[in-house]
Amino acid sequence: MGPAHKGAQHRGTAGEPEVMASALEGIGKEGKKESSKKRSGSPVEGLLQPVKLSRAELYKEPTNEELNRLRETESLFHSSLLRLQVEELLKEVRLSEKKKERIDAFLQKVNQRIMRVPSTPETELTNQAWLRDGVRVPLHQVPYTVKGCFRFLPPAQVTVVGSYLLGTCIRPDINVDVALTMPREILQDKDGLNQRYFRKRALYLAHLAHHLSQDPLFGSVRFSYTNGCHLKPSLLLRPHGKDERLVTVRLHPCPPPDFFRPCRLLPSKNNVRTAWYQGQSPSGDGSPEPPTPHYNTWVLQDTALESHAQLLSTVLGSASGLKDGVALLKVWLRQRELDKGLGGFSGFLVSMLVAFLVSTHKIHTTMSGYQVLRSTLQFLASTDLTVNGISLCFSSDPSLPALADFHQAFPVVFLDSSGRLNLCADVTASTCHQVQHEARLSMVLLDSKADDGFQLLLMTPKPMVRAFDHILHLRPLSRLQAACHRLKLWPELQDHGGDYVSAALGPLTTLLEQGLGSRLHLLAHSRPPVSEWDISQDPPKHRDSGVLTLGLLLRPEGLTSVLELGPEADQPEAADFCQFWGSRSELRRFQDGAIREAVVWEAASMAQKRLIPHQVVTHLLTLHADIPDTCVHYTGGLLDALIQSLKETSSTGEEALAAAVRCYDDLSRLLWGLEGLPLTVSAVQGAHPVLRYTEVFPPTAVRPAYSFYEQLQERASLLPRPDKPCPAYVEPMTVVCHLEGSGQWPQDAEAIRRVRAAFQLRLAELLTQQHGLQCRATATHTDVLKDGFVFRIRVAYQREPQILRETRSPEGIISLRDTPASLRLERDTRQLPLLTSTLHGLQQQHPAFSGVARLAKRWVRAQLLGEELTDESLDLVAAALFLHPEPFTPPSSPQVGFLRFLFLISTFDWKNNPLIVNLNNELTAEEQVEIRSVFLATRTKLPVMVIITPQDRKSSVWTQDGPSPQILHQLMVLAAEALPVLEKQLMDPQGPGDIRTVFRPPLDMYDVLIHLSPRHIPRHRQAVDSPAASFCRGLLSEPGPSSLMPVLGYDPPQLYLAQLREAFGDLALFFYDQHGGKVIGVLWKPTSFQPQPLKASNTKGRMVVSQGGELVMVPNVEAILEDFAILGEGLVQAVEARSERWTV
Amino acid sequence: MVARGRKRAARESEKGILSPPGYSAIPIKFSEKQQSSHYIYVREHKVREGTKSSWPQKRTLFVLNVPPYCTEECLSRLLSPCGPVQSVELQEKPDLAESPKEPKSKFFHPKPVPGFQVAYVVFQKPRGVSAALALKGPLLVSTESHPVKSGVHKWIRDYADSVPDPEALRVEVDTFMETYDEKMAEEEAKAKEEEGVPDEEGWVKVTRRGRRPVLPRTEAASLRVLEREKRKRARKELLNFYAWQHRETKMEHLAQLRKKFQEDKQRIELMRAQRKFRPY
Repeated sequence: MGPAHKGAQHRGTAGEPEVMASALEGIGKEGKKESSKKRSGSPVEGLLQPVKLSRAELYKEPTNEELNRLRETESLFHSSLLRLQVEELLKEVRLSEKKKERIDAFLQKVNQRIMRVPSTPETELTNQAWLRDGVRVPLHQVPYTVKGCFRFLPPAQVTVVGSYLLGTCIRPDINVDVALTMPREILQDKDGLNQRYFRKRALYLAHLAHHLSQDPLFGSVRFSYTNGCHLKPSLLLRPHGKDERLVTVRLHPCPPPDFFRPCRLLPSKNNVRTAWYQGQSPSGDGSPEPPTPHYNTWVLQDTALESHAQLLSTVLGSASGLKDGVALLKVWLRQRELDKGLGGFSGFLVSMLVAFLVSTHKIHTTMSGYQVLRSTLQFLASTDLTVNGISLCFSSDPSLPALADFHQAFPVVFLDSSGRLNLCADVTASTCHQVQHEARLSMVLLDSKADDGFQLLLMTPKPMVRAFDHILHLRPLSRLQAACHRLKLWPELQDHGGDYVSAALGPLTTLLEQGLGSRLHLLAHSRPPVSEWDISQDPPKHRDSGVLTLGLLLRPEGLTSVLELGPEADQPEAADFCQFWGSRSELRRFQDGAIREAVVWEAASMAQKRLIPHQVVTHLLTLHADIPDTCVHYTGGLLDALIQSLKETSSTGEEALAAAVRCYDDLSRLLWGLEGLPLTVSAVQGAHPVLRYTEVFPPTAVRPAYSFYEQLQERASLLPRPDKPCPAYVEPMTVVCHLEGSGQWPQDAEAIRRVRAAFQLRLAELLTQQHGLQCRATATHTDVLKDGFVFRIRVAYQREPQILRETRSPEGIISLRDTPASLRLERDTRQLPLLTSTLHGLQQQHPAFSGVARLAKRWVRAQLLGEELTDESLDLVAAALFLHPEPFTPPSSPQVGFLRFLFLISTFDWKNNPLIVNLNNELTAEEQVEIRSVFLATRTKLPVMVIITPQDRKSSVWTQDGPSPQILHQLMVLAAEALPVLEKQLMDPQGPGDIRTVFRPPLDMYDVLIHLSPRHIPRHRQAVDSPAASFCRGLLSEPGPSSLMPVLGYDPPQLYLAQLREAFGDLALFFYDQHGGKVIGVLWKPTSFQPQPLKASNTKGRMVVSQGGELVMVPNVEAILEDFAILGEGLVQAVEARSERWTV
Repeated sequence: MVARGRKRAARESEKGILSPPGYSAIPIKFSEKQQSSHYIYVREHKVREGTKSSWPQKRTLFVLNVPPYCTEECLSRLLSPCGPVQSVELQEKPDLAESPKEPKSKFFHPKPVPGFQVAYVVFQKPRGVSAALALKGPLLVSTESHPVKSGVHKWIRDYADSVPDPEALRVEVDTFMETYDEKMAEEEAKAKEEEGVPDEEGWVKVTRRGRRPVLPRTEAASLRVLEREKRKRARKELLNFYAWQHRETKMEHLAQLRKKFQEDKQRIELMRAQRKFRPY
């Protein structure tokens, strides 16, 4: 029972990405590195193969045993895979028999040592001089004076209680709870009063600790708090030597049975006198003492240790399925960080809950572990313990208090079999709601058939920073003491023995929940960690228990409003509203004539609206809890800066993207209504990232300053000038314009291209004539300048891919075969527009999609890997975070979405799984199963990264041309490194430090660095570390006459890269960040540096040398390095060769 | 490293420049300033007996490893000291088989970004080839009298060139479509002529254009027919009617389960190997 200690955390290798296809031929340095750490084994190790069973094996007569197992699987588990997985997991977390033996031996020795501790003479409680040096009392004795006497006597009884006996304890933190029954002689009447019992308990432990610490048997003897409760220390013993990590024995002193009268400890009774607590002489004014429900519960808990252990062992003792279930539930809770600290949903609580469900016949003892897990989650999901408490007590004794009494005293109610002890006394309402929320999510997951529920349910950690949209830290904690006074929480403080953190927690969360209202889905708080300290030290102060972290799960639909509508001014509730919101509440007159109290928050852009909770929280905390905004560290929009454009620091670009989309809508209307085209327009579809809200930096309207450019008057175009810096980069937005089918279309590919070109010309003419738009037509597209935005219209004919596919067999049958040209055309004119419109729709559903996708893309590009992965593939990965958020909920802030993107990238097993992105929910569960099996069968023919959508069920169009296994591996490594760094920064209450750290690429791995001159980098100021100033890019701030076509798509670094790749693509890989990167990283390909035999086809950039008397070809590195500078004359600042290895 | 390079260059000039057998090597540089040079490998263009080549025998020089900044005019200028050059053609790969050379439209086949290329240089006289084989170099691509643009200047020029002339495009499209239409009309006329006319053996060709059009001869159409047949057959079949059918279905189910179980076991084995069962 109770919390496991904090130390000895074995972080598994779960987060580590496994090495991708190490056997694939090495390209670039990654390949080289990999081959060195290549594990022994077959080349396709770690890859699932389709199972091949012989006919005889498949169709042999089944044995009875086999049939039984199959039947069992069908009835008790979801599927055989789940069953096997559960069995494996239990094997991993269970204690082995061997270790159990060692622990048992250790326990026996502990027992002997405890009994041998000498007694002490009786002294006053306040006289603690007898306590030896080197040990301090593990309790804050405030106020110090208390009546009573104490002496140490060896315990009357030493019993092992808790999960160890039941066999439900789980690794890695093995705790054995031992109850020490103090002899009756130590205690006196009225010890229940004014912490006397707790003082004695602490002294008892202090004396024990002193003697046990002398013993060489123990490796460490330390104090901790039982369940984080500040009045109840416990003693932790760990064995000496190599077993130190094996087990922690926790000693809990407890009173002799029937010592306290249960009726004195009911939640309505007072056991801490105000006069004593406040250090005054008792005043005789007869005012009623406030009840101390928590204090009473803590005393009661000690009395019930053994009866609880007995109850659990009778219920769980013989049923292995139940034990499995409890172990699974513990893993489930731990992955969600719900089990630790004061008021956590501990393993003990869950065991009791299972016992409750058994007693109410919701769980049967023959059920499997999986079924127990499922039934318990079902119960948790459907029952709100804050409203409908439950009880293990079935007696109808009239002397027992009613459930309602408990509901008055505690937020969450779950009574034990005595009917007097609330097991959930310390659990706050928000923790309970969090458990309920998690249970609900898990139930949805268990009910869905397609997904691998096991992994998501039990193996995926849900740390707070990744689970909640916004995080806020309250620091320093000592501010909460003032908050307690402001909130008038004196009785609670008295009840909690001065622990102001837990006293203030409940009221604070209620306050914030009320204030955030419809914006909030769930508010969770961290539980103060259970500290552990040396016996020679004073116990840690309340303020030392770190920080209080709150997690907000937001409701996207509530985030759009800036208004908090209050009651009408003449209603009596108006006063409450005013009191709650303080000075922010104003009387306002609304359009419907109503005059109401209302609060209006300042937020213009989507990004600011997302951060309204920040305003709410700081306002309410200052107003009601006296916590100034310097103590509130809000982590919600820290990453926004990376996707903000330079001029608009108040917005993350959603508005600018929407403006571009509106302009596109206007244009498509113009196209629809165009008169004079020989064929009518049948569809206009966007095919550019801007039109699906995923362009990292949204376009702005261009207003070129003509003096900056060369002018080509006869074609109404501007040209860049060699003597000026590179002009601003304008990327035309692609729009696909389908024309209706007609018998008039030629049936020959070349002819179709000519006809299309004719249409492009005609389109340009008509748009200029009818709407006065500046147009420029080429053979494949027409560029249109509209309101400063440039669109690139491509005319498409539906049957063209079909015609490109047609091949005529010798028999004269026309068959359809995919060709590269047909696939490209199909992708550009059919799949891309479809994807664009689907993702456009997704953005309408999830307003945070744009931010997440853009941050993700920004990060990948900043790591210089942007050109290896297509835009669309990254957009789809981002979409997967929204469509398949399990075990989380869809992100409502870019920050949390980006963290999950990094997690997905770093952990997804691309080798054995396709990433299914079920856009519009079109794929049924059966179809997904089918897709998975097809995937396994054809794995070797598919690209390394496979992304499946309903429109693209087999081929994974967007990852066909990359990334290579090495690049993907590199990406996974980078993501795995970035995630913990970023999470640590965001969780750091001192402030995040430099948030751009994870966006800076590591450059030490490259062989050559080509430094570029900022003068010719048009997007220089988009860089991660944006320069304070850059060159003029020939733009006006005021709208000018826009009759000339601006310079389109002119980006010298991209042109340079294209040349480099064409000339040296066989020899090296080139990496660059298109958003203002100043460096091109070059990696030589080791395979190309092997001397090659003489051949006309591989002379490119090589020279002949004689090696061992033989003539071979090797790359002419010196000349190539100089070529780098020559090809990029004007752009290249320096070529820095960093490794000498390749200079032969 | 530059120093090392210089040393090596010096060493090589002593030893003479190596070249693959049958070729001779000529150093080529972008300009005076470039320290180390690339080498182009040249030989006389020869083809085996019987294969045709579009290049004239004896007069054609085959050049390997032409650097990306070296254009056709440039190569022509560099080799003109050996004798008057008739034509220069740069290609990505040496062309092996006979390929018809159509004049490519600059609108529909834009020039690709050049890499290292091969070249066929046709001299007016065979003497030019032998003179070229004896060239010592180093050749300079860009000189003061004939500067070659690279980097930013080249990109700006390329951009200016890429701004299309709509009139020229229109003219080209129109001429192409005219010839295409003529060709189609001719074929049509020919097909019409042959319609219903039996050949020597008396066979009549039936086409889609006839009075009674037939099913198009495509793969998709034949697959559709097969599919229809299959469905028809499946409709007539009885399922789980006879005892043996029932038994077989059950066995099939079991086999499926077994197969699935094997697959799952393999999956688990793999996950265990990857330590996927450590929850934290």
